[in-house]
Amino acid sequence: MVELLQNLIDGLGRGSIYALLALGVAVVFGVMHLLNFAHGELITVSGYAAFWALEAGWSWTLTVPLVIVVAVLTSLVIERVAFSRVRGADQFTLLLTSFGVHFVVFAMFLLYVSASVKTFPRPGWVTDTYALGSLRVEVFDTVVIVVTLATLSGTTFVLQRTTFGLSLRAAAADFDTARLMGVRSDSVIRGAFALSGLLAGIASVFWLMRAGSTVPSAGIDPMLKGVLAALIGGLGSLRGAVIGGFALGMAEVLLRSRLPDSVASLTEGVVFLLIALLFIFRPQGLVSVDHAERV
Amino acid sequence: MLEVSGLTTAYGEISALREANLSVGSGEVVGLIGPNGAGKSTLLNTVAGLLVPRVGRVEFKGRDVTGRPPEELLKAGLALVPERRRIFVDLSVEENLRIGGVTVPAAERGDLLDEMAELFPVLRDKWTTSAGYLSGGEAQQLAIGRALMSRPQLLMMDEPSLGLAPILVDTVFELIEALRAQGRTLLIVEQNASRMLEVADRAYVLRSGQMVAEGTGTELQSDERLFDLFVGNRPSG
Amino acid sequence: MFPDLRRDVLLPVVAGLALFVLFVGAGFLYQGLLGGYERLVTLALIDAILVLGIQIYVGNTGVLSFGHIGFGAVAGYAFALMAISPVEKAKRIANAPFGLADVHLDPWTSMAVAVAVVLVVAVVVGIGLARSGAESGAVSATVITLALLFVTHEVARNRPDLTGGDRAGLSFRIGGTLDSRIPLYVALLGAILTALLYARSRGGRLAIAAREDDLAARAMGVNPLVQQMVALLLSVAVVAVGAGLRVYERGSILPRDFFFNLTLVTLVMLIVGGRRSVSGALLGVGVITAGRELARRMGQDGFEFFGIGLDGAPLDWIFRENLKTVFLGVAMLGFMIWRPSGLLDDWDLDRWLHARLGGWRSRRQDRQGDGRPGLPPDVEPDDTDVLLVDGVSVAFGGFRALDNVSLEVGRTEVVGVIGPNGAGKTTLLNVVTGLVASDAGRVALGDTELTDAPSHQIARRGLVRTFQNLRLFGALTVRENIEVSALVASSTRRHCLPVDVDGLLVAAGLWEVRDRRARELDYGTSRRLELARAAAMAPSFLLLDEPTSGMSDAESLTMVDQVRRMAGLVGAGVMVIDHDLNFITGICDRVTCLDRGQVIASGTPAEVQADPEVQAAYLGTSAAN
Repeated sequence: MVELLQNLIDGLGRGSIYALLALGVAVVFGVMHLLNFAHGELITVSGYAAFWALEAGWSWTLTVPLVIVVAVLTSLVIERVAFSRVRGADQFTLLLTSFGVHFVVFAMFLLYVSASVKTFPRPGWVTDTYALGSLRVEVFDTVVIVVTLATLSGTTFVLQRTTFGLSLRAAAADFDTARLMGVRSDSVIRGAFALSGLLAGIASVFWLMRAGSTVPSAGIDPMLKGVLAALIGGLGSLRGAVIGGFALGMAEVLLRSRLPDSVASLTEGVVFLLIALLFIFRPQGLVSVDHAERV
Repeated sequence: MLEVSGLTTAYGEISALREANLSVGSGEVVGLIGPNGAGKSTLLNTVAGLLVPRVGRVEFKGRDVTGRPPEELLKAGLALVPERRRIFVDLSVEENLRIGGVTVPAAERGDLLDEMAELFPVLRDKWTTSAGYLSGGEAQQLAIGRALMSRPQLLMMDEPSLGLAPILVDTVFELIEALRAQGRTLLIVEQNASRMLEVADRAYVLRSGQMVAEGTGTELQSDERLFDLFVGNRPSG
Repeated sequence: MFPDLRRDVLLPVVAGLALFVLFVGAGFLYQGLLGGYERLVTLALIDAILVLGIQIYVGNTGVLSFGHIGFGAVAGYAFALMAISPVEKAKRIANAPFGLADVHLDPWTSMAVAVAVVLVVAVVVGIGLARSGAESGAVSATVITLALLFVTHEVARNRPDLTGGDRAGLSFRIGGTLDSRIPLYVALLGAILTALLYARSRGGRLAIAAREDDLAARAMGVNPLVQQMVALLLSVAVVAVGAGLRVYERGSILPRDFFFNLTLVTLVMLIVGGRRSVSGALLGVGVITAGRELARRMGQDGFEFFGIGLDGAPLDWIFRENLKTVFLGVAMLGFMIWRPSGLLDDWDLDRWLHARLGGWRSRRQDRQGDGRPGLPPDVEPDDTDVLLVDGVSVAFGGFRALDNVSLEVGRTEVVGVIGPNGAGKTTLLNVVTGLVASDAGRVALGDTELTDAPSHQIARRGLVRTFQNLRLFGALTVRENIEVSALVASSTRRHCLPVDVDGLLVAAGLWEVRDRRARELDYGTSRRLELARAAAMAPSFLLLDEPTSGMSDAESLTMVDQVRRMAGLVGAGVMVIDHDLNFITGICDRVTCLDRGQVIASGTPAEVQADPEVQAAYLGTSAAN
């Protein structure tokens, strides 16, 4: 029982980060129908920014906003340079474009910085724990969960109560009619990427704190988690992405604690396989990307 | 207020609209009737900026607006209620209306929303309901209200009675009468020619992309050749 | 199998040989001019085989697969496990399951076993893809194939008893690793010919049709899922050979050899050249290989020039890897933004040859006076099955689209369906042809029940339709569009007279444009092609959805002629929906008028037109009535 609760908290901790990543992926998908395989690069780039800042003597208090700002800026730059030019293209083109972006960013870091892992100090409280009844809870997990809930509330507020959020939701529902209402396509897409960057930035802060290092390939893992979670939740749904993130976090923790070691190390492949099976046996359960056609 | 001359719009090879001429004066209700596929929607969509014409000119309030994007036209005072309404089904009634007013300064939006609640009591009752749950008639009202939120000087409607049961068709035309009584300028594409001709000051008949007749509502209503005009029958003999 | 032996077998074989010579020749040139690039060229040959394999699937079906290298992994390991001597295996994987540690086969048998294993996996994956509704452009295919890539990678890493694991992998000397290029040449030539011949065969053509327009293909009786499976099996077989050769050449296999990097490389090669073209695939391999090498050189020598701060003393191979990857990423991104269809789009050498030689041939024919084939005679329908629609009702949500609609069409009749917008005419057609399920009522052709049958089956049974929004197979020529239907008809409608494609082209007035691509035609000609394509199915009934939409009055009149001619040619009954009453009157024996989903009038065109209810339906009822 204690173990179960322990797992629950661990799962929530992980799941929070995945939920933020998944939401970032889903927001972009909503307005552009683009599955962003380059989402993880925001973590990579902001990771290097953190490394350099901390190396230069910055405190984490200053580094956290830096990470977030860098993530948002990177997201906007990528949109401007790459994705704005393939708006409205077919899935084939969109997917390969996002892959292309992923590889270019990855390779640039490999080339112009270094392939080796850069470590940096983590804030002291990351490894602290406290007792909650008979449980040992990590301070870190607590912070992650709290911040994530706050972020999700904030995002919900923006989406539900601001004009920008309304425009975003309208554009995600019916882009052309939104334009007819006077919503500017450029503004709404850039806004989506900015929001996506913000979410990734917050996720990145925690990801980096936990990892304590960065490397050119740092973006692959978070990207996969974000994409997988968004897929689980159904690509069109923002709520689903969040649920998917938490579900993925929980599943990971539970699998790892229940399965024998040799199989547990297959977790990522297992998740992919499960999603593939979901697509196979419940294709209607996950959103169809093809628009309804008029015959 | 609106002058359309020589408008020709094509989809690739197909000339959906050929050399169309049309005018709408301030305060007028003008109808655009004709069989399906005649190019009526194409005309509205071209005027509204969703399509770019190959040849021709659209003048709104004295300004050349040919080929300008919808956002600009909305700011200039031209709004379109699109065919099949296209309301945002995931958003609530209020949110649909709000989005319609996105080009209006935020301070004035509140008053506009109140106006809409007055004009459409049916919607007021369903203010926070998701628009996906509305019936066809309610959806049509919402679509019109949404367009009105942008405070247009010319409101265009594309087949407002499409797919509605006869009773609801009545409601729609009553609404059009009410708008006309408010002094609004309307350009309406309609399948239901006889109803349209009753409310319209003037009307144009469009067939196969071309204007084949023009006149006041009364003139066209009493024209015996109307059916023939519609279906393209050659005069016998 | 092959509609035209000269065009579909002889020329592809000739072109394939030419491409082979060009590619290998270029390799020798590279080696000769620049000196010492033997290994690079060898690897390029192997890459070409892999890319050709991927091209067979991705190019012809339009489905984006990220997982082909996963198939490669399976093949590579299968090959290694079979071919490595037990002595070598004992060092690494002494405890391999299924007694694999003791197996030892010669390389070529091992290759065959690898191919067989991969085919089994492909069948499973293919069924999965089919079930998920993978069609050109679907995300599900990406996810499923990525899953394959990841799963194979993870199994390879985490089962060291089977694969030697992550760090050491498996390595071997199999009586000398591949030291002659002959097997490579043979395999490459085989891959080129397979790719070309498949694309020109019946199966390939049907797959390409489905890629161009899935709905229209089904309406012509094509089952896209079957064709995609065939393409998949062929493609993975070729990839398996390439993978096996790669392992053989290298003498070792590690999990990361068949993961993201190779996937990226092969995909970039495919899209740079043009994924729809075999020539393009080879061109892409050449361009990217040369480009990568250039990038590597620049990385080596040019680095100091840029003077960017380094970290420590990195090994040379890291920089090679990096600049190469940047190059690849930029290439992929650049092409997707500026030229998504690749350098060659779908140009291919054999088609070019055919166009050149075909031009020469028809000029010769015209001079000699034997030009186009004569007009084929009309056909009397040999059975008199009736198309029966009985009490069909369909509701979408609360909306009644069709309400108890019945009608009949005989083999020698032309029946029109008219009515105002939203009356349910297209819905009726969609129900009859299997695109929409009915809630009540039945559709039958003679004794055969067609209610709720899938659309491709309905087409095979003899009900063929055209579409309101023109749906041609744009990239195919006029002739090839018609051939698609004829190919399906020849195997599924054997009881009918064989369709004479040439005769059909002449009758439809398409002979002069027969080698032009469908997307280049003007509107009127496109409509005629759609009609001819439908007729090529040797249907019992033609169902036409607004064939005159977008046409002027004059053009509509020519359509009357066309429809009569096509129907007469194949002995089909016709059901036509249209708004143009001139057209309807000119062509129909009987007319049914729908309004709001119900039949409101039925009779001769004159009767129906004069019916006041029909007039009211078109003009709308006034409140005063």
